[in-house]
Amino acid sequence: MTKPIALAIKWVLIIATLAGILWIAAKLAAAGNVTAVVIAGLVGMGILAVYATRRAVPLKYLVPGLIFMALFQLFPVLYTANLSLTNYGDGHLNTKEQSISDIIAQSVREVPNTPRYKMSVATKEGDSVTTGDLVLLLTKPDGSTFVGDKTGLKPLDAAGVEKTPVGKITKAPGYSILNARQVNARKDLQSLAVPTSDGGGVKPVGLSEAFEGKSSVSYDAKADRLTDTSTQPPTVYEPRDARWVNTADASQSFPQGWKEGIGLSNYTRILTDDTIRSGFIKIFIWNVVFAVVSVLSTFLLGMLIALLFNDPRLRGKAIYRSLLILPYALPGFVTALVWKGMFNQDYGIINQTLGLSIDWLGTDFGAKAAILITNLWLGFPYMFIVCTGALQSIPQDVREAATIDGANAFRTLRSIIMPLLLVAVGPLLLASFAFNFNNFGLIYLLTKGGPFSGVDTSIGSSDLLITYAYRLAFSGTAPNYGFAAAVSVVIFLLVALMSIPGFRRTKALEEVN
Amino acid sequence: MHKRALGAAAVTGVAALALSACGGSSPTTPSNTGGAGTSKAAATTTGTPETPSGTAAPVRDANVDLVIWTDADRSKAVQKYADQFAAENGITVKVQISTDTRAQFKDATKVGKGPDVIVGAHDWLGELVQNSTVAPVNLSADVAAKFLPSAIAATKFNGQSYGVPYAVENIGLMYNKDLVPNPPKTMDELVSVGQKLVKEGKAKQVMSQFVSKVGNAYFAYPYLAAFADGGIFGTKPNGDYDPNKLIVNSAGSVKGGDVLAELGKQKVLSTNVDDTNQDAIFDSKAAPFMISGPWSVAKAKAAGINYGIAPLPSLSGGGAMKPFLGVQMFYVSSKAKNATLAQEFVTNYIPRKDVQLALFEVGKRPPALKEAYDEVAATDPDVKAWYEAGVDGKPMPNIPAMNSVWGPFGQATADIISGKAGAKERLDAAAKEIAANIAKG
Repeated sequence: MTKPIALAIKWVLIIATLAGILWIAAKLAAAGNVTAVVIAGLVGMGILAVYATRRAVPLKYLVPGLIFMALFQLFPVLYTANLSLTNYGDGHLNTKEQSISDIIAQSVREVPNTPRYKMSVATKEGDSVTTGDLVLLLTKPDGSTFVGDKTGLKPLDAAGVEKTPVGKITKAPGYSILNARQVNARKDLQSLAVPTSDGGGVKPVGLSEAFEGKSSVSYDAKADRLTDTSTQPPTVYEPRDARWVNTADASQSFPQGWKEGIGLSNYTRILTDDTIRSGFIKIFIWNVVFAVVSVLSTFLLGMLIALLFNDPRLRGKAIYRSLLILPYALPGFVTALVWKGMFNQDYGIINQTLGLSIDWLGTDFGAKAAILITNLWLGFPYMFIVCTGALQSIPQDVREAATIDGANAFRTLRSIIMPLLLVAVGPLLLASFAFNFNNFGLIYLLTKGGPFSGVDTSIGSSDLLITYAYRLAFSGTAPNYGFAAAVSVVIFLLVALMSIPGFRRTKALEEVN
Repeated sequence: MHKRALGAAAVTGVAALALSACGGSSPTTPSNTGGAGTSKAAATTTGTPETPSGTAAPVRDANVDLVIWTDADRSKAVQKYADQFAAENGITVKVQISTDTRAQFKDATKVGKGPDVIVGAHDWLGELVQNSTVAPVNLSADVAAKFLPSAIAATKFNGQSYGVPYAVENIGLMYNKDLVPNPPKTMDELVSVGQKLVKEGKAKQVMSQFVSKVGNAYFAYPYLAAFADGGIFGTKPNGDYDPNKLIVNSAGSVKGGDVLAELGKQKVLSTNVDDTNQDAIFDSKAAPFMISGPWSVAKAKAAGINYGIAPLPSLSGGGAMKPFLGVQMFYVSSKAKNATLAQEFVTNYIPRKDVQLALFEVGKRPPALKEAYDEVAATDPDVKAWYEAGVDGKPMPNIPAMNSVWGPFGQATADIISGKAGAKERLDAAAKEIAANIAKG
């Protein structure tokens, strides 16, 4: 009885999944991404093959995980690696063709001493308002009326023409005037320019005005050159380093460049640029020190407090425990900002109460100390919680046995409690290390990576690799995603190398159990 | 196995904490109740600005005829006239609040989900043009002539105009009238008056100015610009900033740097004052002077400070300190889905006096339209004072090369103020770094 129902549920789920994939594939096809459509199709066939048949039982369990791993782990890594081989960044976001059309379109200037027209957009009567050829019904400031289309400007017979007080034509025999929404729907209006005798064109501005403009830049496809005639003599621009550069003066170029592949240049820059290379090593060392010290300090403090509170003689434990969890319960972002205020050299509570004048956030050593202190405050309650939990699961009889065997308190701690505790919290320490290794929020809120030395303000003395990469990609001098992607790939490789021994160690801890 | 699960739970716990904290820091958005009086023509629109959740970018509504992104402060004024525009043209308009318009506009436009119109500062322009995300906005000459010339100049890049301005802002000298009846004309006078007050115990420090550990180029620039040929970029013959003429270490700039060093030594300027405590120092009467902008007025008022606003003082050996002008403007996206309506709204609505006045009411910055400014200045002495403090100022450079200046130049001024390095050598180093960054960009 249950088998047909289970079978039905199975097929409903398979079909639902395939329908989902089909929907995604349709979206991807609409976006014109052929490779992605093919991959979606292969995934769909794979799902059908695995779940519709009785074979491949292990795969039935693994496929969802594999798909999500490919989607959220593998794809971003490959995408980043791919990006790191380009110059993608500010000024290099678009294609070369687009840079040409943008430069030409943006060089359009109003021809001096030409009138501003009042304008209505219309089609010939009988033509469709959505697809018919567009005409512009124009009124000069002197009241004379014209009709313009892509062939040119002709006078419009004033008979039967109705106008608003400012001169916008509202009715003209033989034409149907479009309303605001209809005009807006005509995307071809943007490229419409009514040619004029001097080589310019009458172009609309919004719904009711038109001006005579002329583009000063032209493109010669054969020579691959842009020529700007607004200067005397005309300036010629050639493509160089993904930009249009003046052939006569290389310091002049158009701001609109394009994206192109640049091979391994980003990686060679990391390896050969002296400030980046030395800075990278410096940041990496501090990054490891920060993560290790943060984990050890928070763990030691958390464990000591947990041991203290595990003593049955202590009263009011519930209250103390709740209070100690508070720093963890408060949003870390708020706490970090409060600590930033407390570390202020002149106005901060730390220097004021201790009578010190330490420049916490302005010196190399001070900033690092401030970060470690703040992270200790933020991190110890977590360690306290997990240690308390782990300690309570250690059976009392083991400790009693140790006492009977004559072990003192320290010996019991070292030989009995610690090994049992570490089995439980060891993996958590590794997780904490991984979290702190990329603890972006703390650094960013407390020091923004600073203080910065005079030589290069792109590398701060409290920067982690992640804040460094972020500054390169998003907030630095000129956002350069390609280079930031290359840095991210290097960070990924470093972290991957470092986690190998980590995972080995985790396995060793599990074998104790 | 259960230990692994615990570990995973711990990591997700940490992540959840981080996420919830992120949500907690979302900026305040205007309440819907206050908007009742402003949306008379709300029949065709939603009537209230759409607020985002957290700090995430707004999601473009595909079913409306015009989408405008603005920050929360201005959203209500924009909404009012967007509603009017909608009713007049029989269309629907949606005003959405973006918490970081510059970055969110860039990202959303890249994937074809950007708005049609954005409200932003003029110094974004170089970057926007570089990435081809904004379209030229062609104002007629007689409409452009109705604006302050500096505001119109700020909307141009390489001679092309890319938007319509509505407000001009700049920094000036705020002083506490209870402690200082008349504003000082020179920095020397300011320092001696301030030091006297400190000696008498009426104040704790001479002045409050945003410096911070990483420096602030915007606030440090006026000191350099007070001297002939001091500043950041030289200009081309047509008045545009020239990225190839870097003058941060010119003789005039170094003189300005020396003043920063001297004021740092006298504790008038300190790297321990930053955006988090600058207002508090002035508003708690700890300092009789503060160099800041219109954004500080509301807080001083709320603190009950009897404040005055004056032009920045002049420096001995040089002239008056000249602030940067920041111009707020409306841009039209080059990838606008509704380009015609966007152009119409920006060229026909924003230059109107009533629109400029409404935007003044929410921002309290001097309007860019002369007519609107004259009307406001007649009744609001603060606005007149801010405007006069900025008369000699030049628009902040809107060339993309300016992005290479903020960090290195800011840090250089912080190091000079804290005495870590001398003005000449530090500005030389900054010039070298900036030039290298421009070459790389």
